[in-house]
Amino acid sequence: MKKSLATVLSAVMILTLAACGGNTAAPATTAAPATEAPKAEATEAAAAETEAPAAEASDEGPIKIGYVGDLTGGTALWGTAGQYGAELAAKDINEAGGIMGREVVIVPMDGKGDPSDSVSALKKLIDDEHVVASIGTNFSSCNIPMASVADEKKVPIIATAASNELVTVDENGNLHPYSFRLCFIDPYIGEVIGSYAAGTLGYKTAALFTVAGNTNSESVGAIIKDVFTSKGGEIVIEEQCQEADMDYRAQLAKIGAKNPDVIFVLMNDYAKLATFAKQARELGIESMLMGHDGWDSAQLAGEAGGALEGCLYISRIGFNTPEAAAFGDRVTELYKMESREAECLFTRDGVYWIKDAIERAGSADPTAIRDALESTEKFEGLIGTLVEDPATHNPAMACALFECHGDAFEYKGIVEAE
Amino acid sequence: MFFQQLITGISVGGIYALLATGYSLIYSLLDFSNWSHGEFAMVGAYIAIVFSTMLPFPFLVAAMIGVAGGALVSWLTEKVVYRRIRSTGGPNMFLMIGAMGLSSVFQQAANLIFTGQYRSYPFKLPVSTIKIAGAYIGVLDLISLIITAIILIFLMYIINKTQFGLNVRGIACNQWGAKILGVKVDSCISKVFILAGCLAGVAGILYGAKYNVWPTMGNIGLKAFISSVLGGLGSVPGAILGAVLLGIIETLVSAYVSSSLRDFFSFALLIVILLVKPSGLLGVDVQDKA
Repeated sequence: MKKSLATVLSAVMILTLAACGGNTAAPATTAAPATEAPKAEATEAAAAETEAPAAEASDEGPIKIGYVGDLTGGTALWGTAGQYGAELAAKDINEAGGIMGREVVIVPMDGKGDPSDSVSALKKLIDDEHVVASIGTNFSSCNIPMASVADEKKVPIIATAASNELVTVDENGNLHPYSFRLCFIDPYIGEVIGSYAAGTLGYKTAALFTVAGNTNSESVGAIIKDVFTSKGGEIVIEEQCQEADMDYRAQLAKIGAKNPDVIFVLMNDYAKLATFAKQARELGIESMLMGHDGWDSAQLAGEAGGALEGCLYISRIGFNTPEAAAFGDRVTELYKMESREAECLFTRDGVYWIKDAIERAGSADPTAIRDALESTEKFEGLIGTLVEDPATHNPAMACALFECHGDAFEYKGIVEAE
Repeated sequence: MFFQQLITGISVGGIYALLATGYSLIYSLLDFSNWSHGEFAMVGAYIAIVFSTMLPFPFLVAAMIGVAGGALVSWLTEKVVYRRIRSTGGPNMFLMIGAMGLSSVFQQAANLIFTGQYRSYPFKLPVSTIKIAGAYIGVLDLISLIITAIILIFLMYIINKTQFGLNVRGIACNQWGAKILGVKVDSCISKVFILAGCLAGVAGILYGAKYNVWPTMGNIGLKAFISSVLGGLGSVPGAILGAVLLGIIETLVSAYVSSSLRDFFSFALLIVILLVKPSGLLGVDVQDKA
């Protein structure tokens, strides 16, 4: 009896592990509102017909903008920064008179950084909260399934740092009409990293380290590999870890044996990146470590304790303009955050982009907002100037190079694909 | 490179061992797997974080308070939950279900109190390493291994050479018999929970020092459970052996097969052990072990 029970329990554990995929740090549970919704709104939402178009609820009263982010999981640092950025942007807009005289309300919902939870969160925002548009997430793996929901519900969503191509177009190349983004796409950043490493830096051999099952990590890695090899470089070893891993020494020992000039480390979690770097140095690996926008964290360099000294990553301009720095400081101070996180800039720009779209459309109807977002010729945000491509919904934006010195990464300048 | 992987495997297995012994001790007395055991490690790690970063305590003092906190919470779960379930005469399945519930409660509570962000201890050890026979081992890993070894040797001494250890082994062998012979069973079980909580607290603090602290870090308890099954549920030396073996197996699979298949191998091994040798490597009483 006990043997049978133990066997069954073990099988359940295996299935649970498989279901958790790469992210055991954020167990899959039903998405829940991140903050308590006002009772009046909750009652209104409960009374509303599930299939009632969001536009009906958006004609008068406050304009509700949703936000889906990881508010409680392992990457909650970004998720909460995104929530605060959106809320501060809404506060600023409201103090300046709102959007066409109407108050803006941000409705945050916890997607836990998990695809199924993020989809549930978006559905709740649209069906229960009647948002006219939604911002988030910063994960491609979450926004790819969310894009279909946005199309079905006809409510535009704006991904922040989700850079996989499939966030705005499906596998057949068909546009998701209601899915937008605020960042450049994986091929672009992968192309810049690969060509900069092989060209300007002159590296000949490289190791590629990606996170298995992580769409962003694997797709950027694939582009880097293509570009780096096309420019004469050689990928001498490719290794992967799982999302929840905290120990990389088994893979690093193999990488160290190949002694590559550079290791492209495509991870999206600062604590794990710092651990990776420390373990690499502990194993005597002196190769350059290079990364992408997943390295965007004010805590990374300090957490790595010197293991990333001189290492590079390519990402957005971030807080390197006075306006962006000032906004980041306000978020940090107002919400008692330990450090500035770039996610607050994305969500701030997301809110202002929606404001811009509503004002140009003269309506807060979700479809009108969508049309206006798509026809954006130029939007000046804190993360740079966004020029929208209506065919792909992929904006053109500049890339920036950052180098680690001491406890911080320093902005080195603009880089483009060579 | 093989020697390097072996060193890494032992280092990984060391943390598993601290938790696995706690699993085994509790299983040996109560015949149930305490699924919330990994959370005691998390609680200990967070308490050390609070005392070393939010309160002005030196880290070593904070670490000791963290270990005591792990023990206290472990003892409280026995007192408040498990003992009551036992007193009602419910099946062991109820204990296991209670443990699963406790695990979720602890994780959610940590999420609410500390948010999901990673927390780190106030000290930042420089990245330093020692080379042994061509293999590198980090100083923090070495310190962690030495602490683990000392604690496990001390634990073996307690179990094998003290009256308390004799009582524990007596209860593990025959609870009613031990009671008739004058052993205070409930008191002894409480002390075992305190001991297991201490071990988990140390594991949590060492794990936190190496990889940071976050609400679901106690999920490592799953690996400790596999270790204790591999070594023989209820056997403390078996748990240590199982943990080190599992650490080595995981590292070798990651290095020579695929890191994506590492957990597949670990859990498949669990199934194989249960089917082929349910008593584990060092377990004795087959029917009582699994």
